[in-house]
Amino acid sequence: MKRLTLLLLLTLMLAACAEILGIRPPEKRPFPHHEHTAKAGIGCLKCHAGVLSSTDADPLHLPTTATCVSAGCHEKPHDSRDCRGCHGLDYVRTEAQADLDHLKFTHATHSRRLKDNCAFCHRGVETNSDHVRPTMGLCLSCHEHQEDFGQARTCNRCHKDIRGEQVRPESHVAHDGDWLREHGNRAFSAPELCQSCHTDKYCAGCHGRTTPALPEKLKFDDTLRAGVHRAGFVSRHSLEARTQPGLCSTCHTTSEFCETCHAKSGVDVSSGGKSPHPQGWVGLRGESNDHGSAAWRDPSVCAACHTGAGESLCIGCHRVGAMGGNPHRPGWTSRMRPTIDQPCRSCHE
Amino acid sequence: MRRVRAHLLAGTLSLVLGTGRLARGDPYRLSIDAVGYSQAPQSPVGLLVLQGDGQANRWADAEALAWTGSTTGNYDVLTAMVRLHDPRNFAELRLGRQILTVGALRPVHMDGADVRLRAPTGTSVEAFGGVPVEPQFAYRAYDWMAGGRVAQHLGPTTSIGVSYFEQRADGQLSYETAGVDLASAPARWLDLAAHGTYALIDPGLAEAGGSVAARFGDFRPEIYVTHRAPSYLIPATSLFSALGDTPSDVVGASMKWRMFPRLDVLPLIAVRDTAGEVGLDGTLRATLRLDDRGEGAVAVEGRRQGSGPDQWTGIRVTTRVPITARVRCSTELELVAPDDPRGRGSLWPWGLIALRWVPIRSLEVAGAVEAASTPTATREVNALARLGWNWGTR
Repeated sequence: MKRLTLLLLLTLMLAACAEILGIRPPEKRPFPHHEHTAKAGIGCLKCHAGVLSSTDADPLHLPTTATCVSAGCHEKPHDSRDCRGCHGLDYVRTEAQADLDHLKFTHATHSRRLKDNCAFCHRGVETNSDHVRPTMGLCLSCHEHQEDFGQARTCNRCHKDIRGEQVRPESHVAHDGDWLREHGNRAFSAPELCQSCHTDKYCAGCHGRTTPALPEKLKFDDTLRAGVHRAGFVSRHSLEARTQPGLCSTCHTTSEFCETCHAKSGVDVSSGGKSPHPQGWVGLRGESNDHGSAAWRDPSVCAACHTGAGESLCIGCHRVGAMGGNPHRPGWTSRMRPTIDQPCRSCHE
Repeated sequence: MRRVRAHLLAGTLSLVLGTGRLARGDPYRLSIDAVGYSQAPQSPVGLLVLQGDGQANRWADAEALAWTGSTTGNYDVLTAMVRLHDPRNFAELRLGRQILTVGALRPVHMDGADVRLRAPTGTSVEAFGGVPVEPQFAYRAYDWMAGGRVAQHLGPTTSIGVSYFEQRADGQLSYETAGVDLASAPARWLDLAAHGTYALIDPGLAEAGGSVAARFGDFRPEIYVTHRAPSYLIPATSLFSALGDTPSDVVGASMKWRMFPRLDVLPLIAVRDTAGEVGLDGTLRATLRLDDRGEGAVAVEGRRQGSGPDQWTGIRVTTRVPITARVRCSTELELVAPDDPRGRGSLWPWGLIALRWVPIRSLEVAGAVEAASTPTATREVNALARLGWNWGTR
């Protein structure tokens, strides 16, 4: 008996897992196209009347309860409620409406070319009714997408307003994997491809110098939105800066950026806060002297606070003949004019 | 100067508000968002963001975003740009405040002009010039930037480009770089991309990166390398640029695996070498979609930063659950444990719970509470709110 109970529980758990992981279809079933087409032999136009001559100015040709009843098939429905309440997934209708709103597409043109063969695009509709909407990949099996985009650098040939559509590509440039890290490398060579969907505002949301607030702070309710400064970034920003040298400098170029926030929160020296440097940070020769190796490691972190007048603090020791010696690395060269340009002239008089 | 600022701001606002009227009949978007944030222990802040973009006709489109904050005189413009182009985009002129991504150069924020020309042979030429954006139009004399890129398409799937950029601060060179970029998709399942930026003032390799990604059914492996020398990322006018080349190199690999129809797993491992110190970084991320479309999802991410002087381990759990068609609940929890807390607490938790309500298509209301224990505050609680209204197509 115990074994049976255990087996039953295990079966239930597996069924629940399968449901969650999407291995089983959800409780609300897709419209049973299979039952209607393959089994009952009903043609598509019996329910989707007029679709073959429709243009993108016409409404959707999805059947209603009246269609099911008046077609003579379901004269006595088993329920008084709207058929669509149980049969057919909501998102299939939403996607169909979105396609109608955003794509330059007419069934009329396609049906003529395909000789009214609906299943050419709506593949598998006679066996699987879940995803009846053709994917973009299927469109590209006929339409020369790369050629179209290559000729005009625009998606307007098929999409009415791709930016408003907010579609995420499935078949090309899929924002897959660790896209946040990868996107820059891809954008370097194909900015026009990115701009076909994203406006400058989108890029400037992170890369701009006058960003009102980071996208993840503005859209705080979308917790799955990717972002560098997610969650408790304020707490861990010093850790991130030290483990990934130069990362902050790739976007933040001014020292005021750090100072403004540190002054407000009272964690900088000038506003009465503690020095961030541990004991033994600066010492005489032979003593603990960690600041040198830290500066070699990531000079951009030093530059975040010690710019302008702060640089004189370094120059006090680091100059030829002084205690700190020559600050340049061996083999270092520069096109700067030593006695004219900053920062050379601070030392090279 | 005050008059110039007022004119610039007024111009941007007219561009934002004019977008909708200008683009009647063509796709346009116009939205306004009001955001409030209690920001403990500092004063609460409020933010009003007005943005719009639209297409006037086949030859012109425009976009702008202006914002104002609750503190006095706190306002600015993120972008305000008009784009004139031929219908097939062979020639394009972008005027105004914009973000430039030109070849291997880091994105720059500029007030100026950008010209792009493209020949049917696959050759494209881009040139730009202007002044670097300064917050609240506080421009400085003799600050300017210029650059360009020449690129050639080799067949439909490969592109190679060479770029140049220089920026001056008070008339003196602060950045001068040359870059090379390459992207190719030699097969439907393979993507390659690489770039390199060479600093010309204090000669040396400033940044470089490469990535090879493949797609085999449910698997997407990627191998990448990056090289970054922080001394070249700060302006050459800074004393710290004179220290010389101090690169940080990373070699890493990731593998996205659609383990089940609704479950994606992404392990990532990287070896980082910084000035001779070698360390290992790793991330393991799993995302479970609660429905076929991914409207609801649960994600778990574990992360270990094992390189550098401040190593740490963290975990983040996020959920996004639609309660009804119009109401959505989201939560986020993060725990960070630094290896060396240095008296700042051994665990830094951060959590957020948010609700979003869309009563009608154009209106969006959201509220959230976030709580944290940070290195500087034992307890910190903040409230966030957003009210948004959209016009036009979405």
